Amino acid sequence: MAQTRSSARSGSSGAGEARIGAGARVRGRIAGDGALTVEGHVEGDVALRGELTVAEGGEIHADTIEAEALVVSGVVEGELRVSGVVRAMAGSRVRGNVTGGASLALDDGAQFAGRIDAEFDLPAELLESSGGSPGRRR
Amino acid sequence: MASTVIGAGITIDGEITSDEDVVVQGTVRGKLTARDGVTVEPGAVVEADVSGGPLTVAGSITGNITSTDRVDLQPGAKVIGNVKAARITISDGAQFKGNVDMDV
Amino acid sequence: MNGDVATIGRGTVVRGRITGAANLEILGRVEGEVEVDGDVVLDARGLAAASLSGRRVTIRGAVRGDLVATESIVLEDGARVVGDVRAPRVAIATGALVRGYVQTGDAPAASSTARARPAASAATPRAANVSATASAPRTPPRAAPAPVPSPAARPAPSAPARPVATAIAGSHAAPSSNGSQASQPSQPSQTERTPPRAPSAHAPVHAPAAAPKGPPPPVMPALKKGAKGAMSKKRA
Repeated sequence: MAQTRSSARSGSSGAGEARIGAGARVRGRIAGDGALTVEGHVEGDVALRGELTVAEGGEIHADTIEAEALVVSGVVEGELRVSGVVRAMAGSRVRGNVTGGASLALDDGAQFAGRIDAEFDLPAELLESSGGSPGRRR
Repeated sequence: MASTVIGAGITIDGEITSDEDVVVQGTVRGKLTARDGVTVEPGAVVEADVSGGPLTVAGSITGNITSTDRVDLQPGAKVIGNVKAARITISDGAQFKGNVDMDV
Repeated sequence: MNGDVATIGRGTVVRGRITGAANLEILGRVEGEVEVDGDVVLDARGLAAASLSGRRVTIRGAVRGDLVATESIVLEDGARVVGDVRAPRVAIATGALVRGYVQTGDAPAASSTARARPAASAATPRAANVSATASAPRTPPRAAPAPVPSPAARPAPSAPARPVATAIAGSHAAPSSNGSQASQPSQPSQTERTPPRAPSAHAPVHAPAAAPKGPPPPVMPALKKGAKGAMSKKRA
């Protein structure tokens, strides 16, 4: 297994089809521009200006994972600071709060645990506190 | 055909307000107000004041009934409460206990 | 439970509590609490300022309240939910908007909307929380409570396993009130999600697979697919 320590930069030359192969283990922070596909194991924060894909079998365990979009078929844990869509495919396991304004899409069969705070307004009739569910202000 | 049907297995503890007709087959406790007709089917239990348009009762109502139209107690109906309606029919076999006010 | 469908029509508002062994379709508006044994469908124009609990809950409209199901929750495109979403299976379509805590895994007891919260907070240390750092503390606690409380709390360790497993499979006999019967004997709240099955025992808390030294890898990686129990167990 290839082990890469400290910072790893993904192809910053734009398009970069950066990939962390199935047999690779990264311990440290990953930062870069462009899309990144993780098929191996990553332990450490990810700060990506692009779309992050965690393939089936791939895993990321981090404090914070930043990306423009996140598609998970494998395992992801960490705060998900995503601006676009966080999509958990069937068979994936995702744990972490989704921040950054992302919207969440869960396929049936995905396992997910975390908070999501999408920005939107409920219809006016529901905004008045009408003693519905135990007044939890959100 | 009713737009709101409180099925046999359902219990509602609270208030129902509708601008359509309501059919009760289950249990309602609280208050029921409909703009159109109200049908309380056999087996239904209503422990509430009921007001609406034409009311057809074959189940049980314990509460005051106010109708803008007619109230029809069918055989098997059991009503305990006052009824205020322009017209009322109490079929043979219906049980009723309360006052009837037809001065609407 | 019969196949009764109760319908709250478009022009109807119900304020209060709706319970029963039936399916419920909400086209109008509900304020309060809904807890039925059957399926709940909230129409695209339906409004609920209420917690909704059922076997399979399908949301197409707007909800301000928690959603709990013993089998599945589906938020379709156009759904807007402000509240927590908890069920063994949860599907959220791309166009659905949610603001709250979402959790798949163990079937919380239908009537546990209240309990679910304490459970969540109890489990908060790791469950709710995000950061992988939480994973560190998580592992040990998990190891301890998991095996111990389960058997201890439960009269028959294996027994609860079944009901829970059953619950997850969605074929529970008495869905609503107990959801996972296991949750009753055991502790309130979190037990709902407590690792009922033995698997929790062998589910390598210290994921041997994810050996990595650094941040103790949470069990997740080690878990086999479908080990929902294990995942929820984390929350315990």
